[in-house]
Amino acid sequence: MKNKLLQAVEDVQLKKAPAFTVGDQVDVHQRILEGEKERVQIFTGVVISMRGEGLREMFTVRRIVQGEGIERTFPVQSPKLAKIEVKRTGAVRRAKLYYLRDRVGKATRLRERKVKPTPTAPGGPSAS
Amino acid sequence: MPLGMLGLKVGMTQVYDDKGNLEPVTVLQLGPNPVLLVRTMERDGYHAVQVGFGDKARKRASRAERGHVSADFSSKRKKARQEAGEQLPEKANVEPQKYIREFRLADAATLGVGAVLKAEDVFKDIPNVDVIGTSKGRGYSGVMKRWGFSGLRASHGIKKGSRQHGSTSSLASNRGSGRPKKGLKRAGQHGNARSTARNLKIVRIDAANNVVLVRGAVPGPNGGFIIVRPTNKRD
Repeated sequence: MKNKLLQAVEDVQLKKAPAFTVGDQVDVHQRILEGEKERVQIFTGVVISMRGEGLREMFTVRRIVQGEGIERTFPVQSPKLAKIEVKRTGAVRRAKLYYLRDRVGKATRLRERKVKPTPTAPGGPSAS
Repeated sequence: MPLGMLGLKVGMTQVYDDKGNLEPVTVLQLGPNPVLLVRTMERDGYHAVQVGFGDKARKRASRAERGHVSADFSSKRKKARQEAGEQLPEKANVEPQKYIREFRLADAATLGVGAVLKAEDVFKDIPNVDVIGTSKGRGYSGVMKRWGFSGLRASHGIKKGSRQHGSTSSLASNRGSGRPKKGLKRAGQHGNARSTARNLKIVRIDAANNVVLVRGAVPGPNGGFIIVRPTNKRD
């Protein structure tokens, strides 16, 4: 986003930057409105891609349900997401983990990312 | 035609509405627009206000453009008129304007020369607007791009004509005039023409930045000049 006015428009609704990155196992808490009642549905899986920036940033979560791979894409800044919890980090060397689609069972596991001694903001997946 | 405003198309993005759904919006930078001239029924035969948008460097403006907006601009003709005792027109006293347009009004204008239009005043209670711009030029385009024709087949004996339009009707189709009907869709200049996007919802007005968000797309490139008016579409 380069244009100042466009940035100003998005800043109004922008929450803070996401605290997760590609390779992390996350719980996505989604608010779902059923008639009058609101409930929270949790979708757990591995973040396999993040794209876009600012208000338009999206991320894709992949999980295996009954032997079938399920991928869901959410906007990072959506007010419909109550929270996004990082359950486990993953050490990955690529920005998009599409290779996980070709793997089944144990091969889909990711190594835990080693926490660096200096506590910096979570950067890209290049922290290998 | 009611009062509208002049401005630029900034670009498109998305914002969330109050239900949390994403809405595609175009960001428009509107105004401030100074009123340069007021047309009256007595003098001009119609009611309108002339407004400007965007400052133009004085060295880039012609003397006429500078004199139109400035009260203390000296010219021989102005001096002569003054000496003859003529009443000189009021001036807005602003920089020369890049874009100048008129908005026709049904009744006499309530704004005077020198008043400044702001988006938050003009579009305060207006839910929907029309945005007029100049569409992106696509040059001389064929019928497939310009009119969405299907073209001809890729095979079965068609050699080079896969993007042609096929038959353009018989010469007898226009009641024996010997020519096809006017307005037949053919190849030609596509885009770079005045275009109006009608009935766009105003999503948000940002008074501090002179910015208005409308739902959906707007003709023209980012940075293109646009005119916005309350919609004339009846529902």
